[in-house]
Amino acid sequence: MTRPPNRLMADSQVKINVPGQADPATSVEDQKQMEQAYNKMKRKMAIAQMGKAIKHKIMVLSGKGGVGKSTVATGLALSLAQQGLKVGLLDIDITGPNVPKMMGLDGHRLDVMDGRIHPAKGHLGVKVISMAFLLEDEDTPVVWRGPIKLGAIQQFIGDVEWGDLDYLIIDFPPGTSDEPLTVAQNLPDISGMVIVTTPQDVAVLDSRKSLSFAKSLKVDVLGVIENMSGYTIHGKSKPNETVELFGPGGKTISAIADDSGLWRATLDIFKSGGGKKIADDFNVPFLGALPFDPGFVRGGDDGVHRIVSEPKGASAIAFADVVSAIKAQVEQSSTQPELEII
Amino acid sequence: MPQLTRLERRDADMVLDWDDGTKHVVTYEDIRHSCPCASCSPLRNGDDSSIMLRQNVENLPQEKPKVKPIGKYAISFEWNQGCSSGIYRFERLWKLGEKQDPDGGKTYVHGAW
Repeated sequence: MTRPPNRLMADSQVKINVPGQADPATSVEDQKQMEQAYNKMKRKMAIAQMGKAIKHKIMVLSGKGGVGKSTVATGLALSLAQQGLKVGLLDIDITGPNVPKMMGLDGHRLDVMDGRIHPAKGHLGVKVISMAFLLEDEDTPVVWRGPIKLGAIQQFIGDVEWGDLDYLIIDFPPGTSDEPLTVAQNLPDISGMVIVTTPQDVAVLDSRKSLSFAKSLKVDVLGVIENMSGYTIHGKSKPNETVELFGPGGKTISAIADDSGLWRATLDIFKSGGGKKIADDFNVPFLGALPFDPGFVRGGDDGVHRIVSEPKGASAIAFADVVSAIKAQVEQSSTQPELEII
Repeated sequence: MPQLTRLERRDADMVLDWDDGTKHVVTYEDIRHSCPCASCSPLRNGDDSSIMLRQNVENLPQEKPKVKPIGKYAISFEWNQGCSSGIYRFERLWKLGEKQDPDGGKTYVHGAW
């Protein structure tokens, strides 16, 4: 059925210009400006809509590279999805996007319909967006300066059709530069930041900067996660025998075998307690420690995350504990009254 | 520092309401002169360029800007003429409201925000 023309609009002198149907008298430059303004407005509305459609948005940051941030972000997304929640995972690491590989989405291409980007669906139905989906092949580098990165991130925020989500987990490259700043400036109603660190002093030092960064941007810190915290080994000896191990730092670790001769001991490869200490120093919650698990390396390479391959394993349980702590924090996180501008 | 709850744009200035009950009036001229962007801030260095910046701002036509929130920590102003690049942290607006030097007496070194 053809809708009758809007009476008010038909009577008014105001011309409505839609890109592609501009008045022929309009100059190319004017038309370009109008299209830009139209797209800007469309994106602004989409971002506002996204703010409402996604209940909780969590930024996953670390000061130092190599602490397992993407593994943790992917693990958090999967652990939440395991609990039946609708989850999205946004990989903002423009130059080193590796979430798709961990999610078994290597080589996937994104669907674009009506100018909207549709996320890929990974394990447990987690929706994923990553720069990797846009690269011709995995060896193609992204050589972009800040402003171009900024544009891409704004597109990832404003032009993606996420649908209704309970949680959106956002994975960043290490540091406190363009990427987290752009998201913190543009994405409305962020629930908070989660800081990932490993226990050693060097990682903790960098994580302190991330915590100060969050404070400066007035984004709530949901807490600190200590990753690669202790590597548990197992062995067999005579029943009830005490086994002595020479651990890192010249520390001797004793383990007592059980009645069947099985023993286990945890080695603090990267020291221990750094995450808890920094959380105490900054008076933010400590969300928990995740074990050093070589299964993450194998799982990441094979595209099957540890949580998917061993949903009841020690790592999956550790992730579930961390997720419970995050959910508790999200419920408590302060909702600042919106600034009224008139 | 209290939290900014309401910003009312008037013809030549704006009224800022803070959650502790404080009310500030800040003129657009002061806002524009204290722009924290990388182009404007080095001009506020106490010599002639600072005076020039002030004169440039005063010569701009009076207009009511569009105001856009930036995350949870700042706002920006969009003017038809003049510089619209500055991101004004709430701390900066508070200092302007309190008639304090927003750069703390130092030549402002532009940060990422």
